[in-house]
Amino acid sequence: MATSPRTQKSWRINLLYLPAIILFAIFTVYPLINGANLSLTNWNGYSADRSFVGLDNYLRLFTDEVFRTSLINTFIYGFGSTLIQQILGLALAVALDRALRGRNVARAIIYLPVLVSPVVMGTMYYLLFNFNNGAFNDIVVALGGERIAWLGDSGSAIAIIVTVNSLQFVGVSMIIYLAGLQSIPGELYEASTLDGATGWKQFRAITVPMLQPAFATSIVLNLIGGLKLFDIIKVLTGGGPGYSTNSVSTLIGQTYFENQSAGYASAMGIALFFIIAVFTLLLNTALNRRRLDLS
Amino acid sequence: MKSRLTIIAALTSIPLFLTGCSTGGSDEGSIKLEFQTGRLASDAIQEKLVSLAKSYEETHKGVSIDVIPATQTYEADMKVRLAANDMPDMWGTHGWSLLRYSEFLEPLNNRSWAKDMNPALDTAMKNEKGEFFALPVDTDVSGILYNADVLKANSIDPTSIDTISDFEAAAKTLKSAGITPITSSGKDNWFAGNLTDWLAPGAFTDTELASMSKGTFQSEPYTTVLQKIADWKKDGFFNADYSAATTDDIATALATGKTAFVFMQNNLVTNALTFNPDAKLGYMPVPAINGSSKYLIGGEGLAAFGVAKSSPDKDAALDFIDFLAEPANESALATAAAGIPGLTTATTDLAGLTSSYDEFVASDNYPLVPYFDRVYLPNGMWNTVVSTTDSIISGQANPKDAVSQVQKDFASLYGQNK
Amino acid sequence: MITTKTPIRNAIIGVGLVIVIGMQLLPFYVALTTSLKPKTDLSSQWVFPFGNIYWENFATAIGDGNILRAIANSAIVTIGSTLLICLLGALAAYPLARRNTTGNKLVLLSIVGLIMVPPLSILVPLYTMLTQMGAVNTYWGTILVMTASQLPLSIFLYTAFMRGLPLSVEEAATVDGASTIQLLFRVVFPMLKPVTATVMILTSVTVWNEYALSVFILRSPEMRTIAPSIGAFFSTQNSNLGAAAAAALIAVVPVLIIYLALQRYFIKGMVAGSEK
Repeated sequence: MATSPRTQKSWRINLLYLPAIILFAIFTVYPLINGANLSLTNWNGYSADRSFVGLDNYLRLFTDEVFRTSLINTFIYGFGSTLIQQILGLALAVALDRALRGRNVARAIIYLPVLVSPVVMGTMYYLLFNFNNGAFNDIVVALGGERIAWLGDSGSAIAIIVTVNSLQFVGVSMIIYLAGLQSIPGELYEASTLDGATGWKQFRAITVPMLQPAFATSIVLNLIGGLKLFDIIKVLTGGGPGYSTNSVSTLIGQTYFENQSAGYASAMGIALFFIIAVFTLLLNTALNRRRLDLS
Repeated sequence: MKSRLTIIAALTSIPLFLTGCSTGGSDEGSIKLEFQTGRLASDAIQEKLVSLAKSYEETHKGVSIDVIPATQTYEADMKVRLAANDMPDMWGTHGWSLLRYSEFLEPLNNRSWAKDMNPALDTAMKNEKGEFFALPVDTDVSGILYNADVLKANSIDPTSIDTISDFEAAAKTLKSAGITPITSSGKDNWFAGNLTDWLAPGAFTDTELASMSKGTFQSEPYTTVLQKIADWKKDGFFNADYSAATTDDIATALATGKTAFVFMQNNLVTNALTFNPDAKLGYMPVPAINGSSKYLIGGEGLAAFGVAKSSPDKDAALDFIDFLAEPANESALATAAAGIPGLTTATTDLAGLTSSYDEFVASDNYPLVPYFDRVYLPNGMWNTVVSTTDSIISGQANPKDAVSQVQKDFASLYGQNK
Repeated sequence: MITTKTPIRNAIIGVGLVIVIGMQLLPFYVALTTSLKPKTDLSSQWVFPFGNIYWENFATAIGDGNILRAIANSAIVTIGSTLLICLLGALAAYPLARRNTTGNKLVLLSIVGLIMVPPLSILVPLYTMLTQMGAVNTYWGTILVMTASQLPLSIFLYTAFMRGLPLSVEEAATVDGASTIQLLFRVVFPMLKPVTATVMILTSVTVWNEYALSVFILRSPEMRTIAPSIGAFFSTQNSNLGAAAAAALIAVVPVLIIYLALQRYFIKGMVAGSEK
């Protein structure tokens, strides 16, 4: 957005972001730099001993298959959930934008899981997928089948994690799209109806382009959530079977506390931070050039 | 206007600067001790500790003891607090008083009760200088837990399972009788890892163990262990709900005779008996894969308590530990732990496990070996042991790949800890 | 809106909605049946214990679990953090939106980057610092940490929104001789209501449910917030799922009431947040 010379503010208004910067400096940046220092050591996470190992921890990332699997999973969780949330969220928004009896109740129910902590949500689903007494296996048995170890296979466990995360936060996309739909002027539809366009055609010609800013907000929010996914994995599978459903975040937790390799875990954290930052920025720039010119 | 902007910036920053200035005050004259027990709130040992602390407070006016139960993430909590130099005055060491916590704990070998320590604990709890760092409530002696009724019904005598093929024959018999031979879990941290930890001592020779201690990983015997587990998996010895079973599920299966064997410490028995008080449970030595004598596994018990070296009220804390070590109190705690007491002055009730104790432990016929991961693997390997064993049972990896993962972590952690 | 209204299409949409609503309610239903049965009741999770309701889990959640205290703690932390997040976010966004220098672009870029910091990467250094400050087990310590963790999102949303506001209003006010402060409080802030609603919605729920950091910062039992209190049932009561479910259901009630009361503004705020 061009700024006219007359309103170009003096540098002094920058003082207004000083409090925020101080807060970040103390509570985020300083610990982050400390964490980055740890990534150059072989610290075990609690002892007073540690020695400097240079970039060893970072080099190790390149050959670590467990890290690679977790990184791939992180992207599956991030992009998989984001995709499902956009499709389902938009569909729900379109459906619930119509004059429908009980639509406020429906919106509230769909949004309900957002209000619950992911740890709790994960546990509730853990009950559903439980082998012996889980609600889903009760159905399977009632239909004459053998109980299924839902979380016993990496493929199905990953799919379940993506689904649970998507369902929990689909309410956020739905609300954003509902908001977007309500901001589209009705005249646009009336005009195009007069031109003979209907249904799907209108959706593509008017709704989708007009929702572009909503897409950007929703995708960025969902993607951040999916890429940082931690609690649901922890509760549903703990990263297993084997190492196969870990995200980088859960792997960091395991490496830090259980494997007692705080140095290596810090290196993973820094690497993840840069990988996600780069991806999100690229995506944000691509989606949203008009809206927030970051580059 | 300039100044107003500055004022706004300053005002909104005030809370941030205040952080530097406030310090917590404490009451003078009274001592408040923080005791992180490492035990869960509903646990029998925890309840006993709370009541002992209460009676201690009555006779020691001016001392109050905060007996805090563990959270779900006790080990991580403790590590964060050690790293921040913010330790409680006393804490439970859950098997790690020597290898993990000794750096932060006050040596206790000068206490009056030190001479009464059960000698079985020496290798696990004492360093080369003879120092030890926690008051042991119980001495951990474990084998393979079994349901005696199930074994009897299938004419299996646990005392005559001497070799690994005896064990496998028994497992086959049980399987064909519709009983799950071995119950384990990939969900709960312990169970899968215990399989490897229990079997490994019988797969390595003394020479191999010695070179493991010196930092040279021996992949051949380790592969043998994981191959054995893979074979058992192929033979269908494990429970169908392996991927999802919780500790309660496993305790129930053992107590109700749905399964015959569980590779777990004896404290599972207390839990199992709540589901079926009439169950007859026991434990037997582990048969060795390489054909040497069967053995029991032992070390620091479930519960042991140390005092922070840096505690400002160290003397008060030590006095309370001495109080816990008094024979009557130690006996009460050991009974709550359902284990063999950590001090020879105490006595205990072993609940249903007395016959196993008499048969296998008191007879002194079987060697007591230390926990494989604690002694022969570098600190921090437990998670690797669990995850790699789990990947074998869940079919995510073959023994060769799993061993190479173990080898990699071994190399990096061994380097880190030296 | 979409104008064709055939009964078949409506039926399909209706069925689809019912399925999604059913899926969203299912975990809560199972939590409810679990919370109303004793641990030893092994009946199917589908079965509602009509006439045989077991309230003990709720008693445990309130008594041993101290869930009401946890709700109060979470409320204090959430209200405090949300106020700071909105105030500091709106203040910080103004220069970032209105003074488009390269330096400010870099500042914004770095702030947005902070959204991606994994909590575990900063946990130990942060905790060490908080102990030295005496901030462990204090509300203000947690509030400042929560504010720092949610502020980047707030600044991002406020900046985006402010850039979409017409400059003409501010210009007119400046011509009338208003100082920057007057301009902010009399002209700019009143226009921010919709985006403030969005920021509050998104950040307050996150703070309310935060687990990873609060479990360490507010660790004494009487200071615990909701998520760690519910988490404690998986250990302190020996994985007492019934009590955990009861605690979770109690904890969702206050947020649900607030959500229902504010539902209209929720959507309005989002409209504003996603415009331009």
